[in-house]
Amino acid sequence: MLQEVLVGMVQIVGIMLAISIALFISREALTTTLAQLRSRLQITGPVLVVLGIALLINRLMRQSEEDGIFPMTQVIRRLEGDLIYVFQDIETTRLTMYFSFVYVYGYAYILIFPAIAYFVLSNTRMFRRLLTAYTLNYLIGLSVYLLVGAYGPRQFMYPEEMGVVLYDFGPEYAHVTTEVNRNTNVFPSLHTSLAATVGIFAFYTRSEYPYWFVVALILSISVIISTMYLGIHWAIDVVAGLALAAFCVWASDQLVGRWTLSDIVDRTREALDR
Amino acid sequence: MNRTTTDPVDGVDRRSVLAAGAAGLSLSLSGCMDNVRSVVTGTTDDQLSLSIATVSQDDNRQSPQIARHIEGNLEAAGIDATIDMRSQTEFLEMVLIEQDYDMFVGLHPGDFDPDYLFEALHSTYADEPGWQNPYAYSTGRNFVDDLLEDQRRADDEQERQEILTDLLEEFVSEKPFEPICRPHEFRIGRGDRFDGWHDGHFATQRGYLGLEPTDSNDDNELEALITDSRPTQNINPLMAENRERETIIDLVYDSLGTVIVEDDEDGEDGVDTDDHVVEYRVEPWLAESWEWIDDEDGTNTAHVTLREDVTFHTLEEDETGEPLTAEDVEFTYQLLENTTLGQGNTSPAPRYQGHVSAVDVDGIEIENEYELRIPFHTSTMVGERAFTVPILPKHIWLEDELDERIGSSDDLSAPKGEWGLVTSSAIEPVGSGPYQFADQSDQNSLTLERFDDHFSIGSDEEDLLEPIVEELTFVADTGSASSVERIASGGSDFTGTMLEAYAIDDVPDDDSLETMPASSWTFYHLGFNAGRVDGPPFYDPQFRSAICRLVDKEFIAEEFFFGYADPIAVPVTDEWVPEAFEWDGVDPETPFAGSDGEVDVNGAISAFESIDSIDYRYDEDEEILRRN
Repeated sequence: MLQEVLVGMVQIVGIMLAISIALFISREALTTTLAQLRSRLQITGPVLVVLGIALLINRLMRQSEEDGIFPMTQVIRRLEGDLIYVFQDIETTRLTMYFSFVYVYGYAYILIFPAIAYFVLSNTRMFRRLLTAYTLNYLIGLSVYLLVGAYGPRQFMYPEEMGVVLYDFGPEYAHVTTEVNRNTNVFPSLHTSLAATVGIFAFYTRSEYPYWFVVALILSISVIISTMYLGIHWAIDVVAGLALAAFCVWASDQLVGRWTLSDIVDRTREALDR
Repeated sequence: MNRTTTDPVDGVDRRSVLAAGAAGLSLSLSGCMDNVRSVVTGTTDDQLSLSIATVSQDDNRQSPQIARHIEGNLEAAGIDATIDMRSQTEFLEMVLIEQDYDMFVGLHPGDFDPDYLFEALHSTYADEPGWQNPYAYSTGRNFVDDLLEDQRRADDEQERQEILTDLLEEFVSEKPFEPICRPHEFRIGRGDRFDGWHDGHFATQRGYLGLEPTDSNDDNELEALITDSRPTQNINPLMAENRERETIIDLVYDSLGTVIVEDDEDGEDGVDTDDHVVEYRVEPWLAESWEWIDDEDGTNTAHVTLREDVTFHTLEEDETGEPLTAEDVEFTYQLLENTTLGQGNTSPAPRYQGHVSAVDVDGIEIENEYELRIPFHTSTMVGERAFTVPILPKHIWLEDELDERIGSSDDLSAPKGEWGLVTSSAIEPVGSGPYQFADQSDQNSLTLERFDDHFSIGSDEEDLLEPIVEELTFVADTGSASSVERIASGGSDFTGTMLEAYAIDDVPDDDSLETMPASSWTFYHLGFNAGRVDGPPFYDPQFRSAICRLVDKEFIAEEFFFGYADPIAVPVTDEWVPEAFEWDGVDPETPFAGSDGEVDVNGAISAFESIDSIDYRYDEDEEILRRN
């Protein structure tokens, strides 16, 4: 089942990416990138490895059955009250279709496309910053999940309040989301933080990719709303996710370029020579 | 062979590493957390606050909804109520092992025979793990204990019914826990792939026996969807918090007797309706027969004759299995009574303690390889329930597992029900049942294959259903809605877990689908922790009754179960319910203080105000229940 859903997902996201590449990225950039593929991969290699490790940790953590150390659901619920239910009031089948699509496919798309778009830029700094920001989002988010065990609003909703939420509307989506997440991983919302991260970077690169900026803005806001509309996150999770995104974007600027692998190699060599 | 052998008890699990790492942090934060909490919740020390433990909607759609209903009504009555939501495993650990909760809402496994109340309520079990009195319930007068003991000794059905009536009268006035409703069991399967869906109840092994592929089905492999992934990780038959139903264990492990659920002919495939009767019987299975002998002192002894040529499974090919003999049966009862076999703390098997307590284990006499005498402390009726425990192979549990673990004294001194043998997922899954373990993939699936040497195969006996399907695969699914879709689209064959109420109406009207409603003995209930002296006053039966008046069972069955549940006043199956406690729109003892799910505040307040003994009184200004 998971396999079928994933194949479907790869197809849909693949088509979205192909169209975007054709629309947003120039042919010259692609050919230059192909020519310089080796050197670009060398420069960006370490960042890719670190991101890979972060994703692996995420995968391992998902398999644990334990909730976070501090059960905080009740605190969050008390703090924000019925805020989240406003989305249930505006619920319509069309909106549910839209937000479910955005939550699952749109999210995967907006995370992958900028990585491609920045990889083909002649300066790889933006690419490395983006991946560093992704890594930080995961690592910080996962650390908080270990501490804070909280369940999302849909776990509490009454049938009449629920309207059509994600898993009733498309039960098959649950196979994908349980693959990447557990239902106590709520605070902060990583969907929000990663979507916002992409949105901020799209703003930085609006001169290179003006149309992408518009698409990224609409989609990342939609992803953020979808997390609440579908009852997956509390508003507090979203606020925390936005703060996390802001921090990760800032930190990526501080970190990237500070230490490069060649520097380290050079310095070690010097030390050895001495 | 691809069995997962990671044993969380033997190894260092993530949790303990984490806990160590976070210990410092949590210590320094704990005071701060309390402050955060009181600021956030606005709780003063004076107001009565209660927490309701439950699982998330992903694990069970109805439990948290019932919990929210109760939470809202408690708040209306001036009590600071909170919901403590946990994962299925943590929830069961918290309730069954640690007894660390105020109240909980959950599904009770129940039983077809009311004797399960003995282990559920007897005060000697108040500090035992498992479904043995998780409510820490005991009364000063021991009246309930006496009735529980009397009903299991009553040999005459009429007499037993009378004692049970007294017991249930005591139950509704004491309210050690509050039964809420009994969900309808409902499953669906592909009729175009298999025939024989209606031969046995699917909560028992018999549901899977006698199923045979249709002409158009050439693979003869059945895929069943389960919404609880725990059996894909651990099928240790002793583990307390592992699962609510025994079906998979029953397929791998034979028992002396098997439960047959039968309804009269007018019945609609075993659905409880007013005009038909469901009957539960224990019939010989692994035992060829048993004969009851009345002893002079009024006790009963069963003379059990085993089938010959029964062998246990082997996990290696080309090996023949060990024969199953009277020694294995004796050993099983000894092990279930105390899983350390006298080597350490007494640690009974949490799942089967009530069953085994009916047996006089020390008095078991082996006559020869296939015959033994088992003396009972109880009537024959209750005794037969003890024939349903899984018979375990002595050569594995004693020699391979127990001896190895006894070397580690740490393991043996673990609290009751928590030591390695009971919690391990690394026990060799060897039984003698109709299906044997084949493969397990963590959190995803469990595959069993037909045991071709099983005694039922090729037997002429009428009641003996045999395994025909070659391979059974239980696949973890994300929920009932997804399961219905998968079966309807032909992606899977059967819903092994009963469907949750919300998904029943989504079952498409399709000729190739078989729908299987069935009688049920599980029920949703509200548990109170009567054993906490420093917590809320749950030791007081009047307080418990006042809380019960905040639960609108009729509303719950209608709204949260869409009518696919029957509200109940007492926790026994229909045939044992005394007339006075049959459901008649309202709870006979503690009617809901309100209507349509909404509590009438004055009614609720007066219920609490009329309690003589508790330390809480209404604060008229704030309308909250405040400490005196």
